Amino acid sequence: MMQFEFSAITRSLPELWIGVQYTLALVFISLAGGIVLGLLACMGRLLGRGLLAWTCVTYIVTFRAIPEMVLMFWIYYCAPLLGGVRPSSIIAALAAMSLTAGALLAEVFRGGIGGVPRGQAEAARSLGLSEFWVWRSVILPQAFRIMIPALLGVTALMVKASGIASTVGVTELVYQASVTAGQSYRYLELFTAVGLFYFGILFPMSMVAKFYERKLALRAR
Amino acid sequence: MDSRQNHAPLIQCVNITKRFGTFAALTNVSLSVFKGEVVCIVGPSGSGKSTLLRAVNGLQTIDQGTVTFDGITIPGPSRNVRLIRLEAGMVFQSFNLFPHMTIRKNVTLAPMRARGLSQAEANERAERLLKRVGIGDQIDKYPDQLSGGQQQRVAIARALAMEPKAMLFDEPTSALDPEMVKEVLEVIRELARTGMTMMVVTHEMGFARELSSRMVFMTDGAIVVDAPPREFFGPSTDARLRTFLSKVL
Repeated sequence: MMQFEFSAITRSLPELWIGVQYTLALVFISLAGGIVLGLLACMGRLLGRGLLAWTCVTYIVTFRAIPEMVLMFWIYYCAPLLGGVRPSSIIAALAAMSLTAGALLAEVFRGGIGGVPRGQAEAARSLGLSEFWVWRSVILPQAFRIMIPALLGVTALMVKASGIASTVGVTELVYQASVTAGQSYRYLELFTAVGLFYFGILFPMSMVAKFYERKLALRAR
Repeated sequence: MDSRQNHAPLIQCVNITKRFGTFAALTNVSLSVFKGEVVCIVGPSGSGKSTLLRAVNGLQTIDQGTVTFDGITIPGPSRNVRLIRLEAGMVFQSFNLFPHMTIRKNVTLAPMRARGLSQAEANERAERLLKRVGIGDQIDKYPDQLSGGQQQRVAIARALAMEPKAMLFDEPTSALDPEMVKEVLEVIRELARTGMTMMVVTHEMGFARELSSRMVFMTDGAIVVDAPPREFFGPSTDARLRTFLSKVL
């Protein structure tokens, strides 16, 4: 009979720690890249015309529809055919995750901005404020409040998507756990630890987001 | 009324036309408002009253015609719209206070960011104006902690904080519960007494009659009657106006 052997986890901690670092790096870097791409795509879609707006919409629609895993594989295996260079597994994973996050965030940003009542911008403009201050003081702070739940959703998605990077060989948490478990046959223990780790980041994060959402909802109705 | 002969109008709309698709919201509308005048604009809904008012400060782009406000004309150089907005205060039907800012911040924002007043100057001005509209003790609350009438009075103070040359009111009491209409009208009335130039789109006939130097009646995107209140409410006016007045009075 299989027993839960706690020491299997403690023995593998050094390997798991490497995995945690890679996982966090994947999430943070891809979110940062996604925010930049998302802002550009959202602005292009909202303010641009013609080819620019079309490009942004096409990017958003396409990358929202492709699963991260397919995208990661595609970049890893097909990029060499197109550009002649084989990207390292971490670059392929980051590129895929950033592109996906950007497409998702672009819509989150657009939804948040669109959720601010039209009268708010009109009131701000009617006071003679410049566009900079209209956005900085009136539209964006209110849009951000509306976006909080969706931002959390995208972050959670990226945390989970980072696990897929194991399939192209990034030594993140899932990869490290599979390798060490493969040696010791302690899958139960190691993947329990991995599950707890993901839960340990995402659950407190959703609590914090809930707290802010509730606090801000008191102010913005 | 001397100013009418001697000076150019403060607000001058010339041949304004605006279409929304195939719907003609405004057709060749011309209107002049002189310094110190209170012009009340009435008419059935959809007659173009709000569209005309919003054209004055460029919130509504127009297809033809021009608006000249204190010598600044739109359409014109791109900065003109903002120059007009700096001098024309606007009050909306739905208040449009910024819900994420305190009352104080609502009133000090534009004076600081668009007029370059210091925090202290803007604060002093906000406190003075809010006291004037009877909100002095609520200055650090948020808009949603105030009643509709109080919010609209804050909105008036917010516009006045820019020390505008004229005020544009877009149905300022239409979204209010009946018991709150009076307090807002009282503030506007007090403002009229100080000689503020005003354009007021309203359904409050009694108020308009008492306050206005001129009454404008619009229907189907055109100005049909433009007359002093005595004449406007008199017996020998336009048939469409008579029908409208018989419905609202």
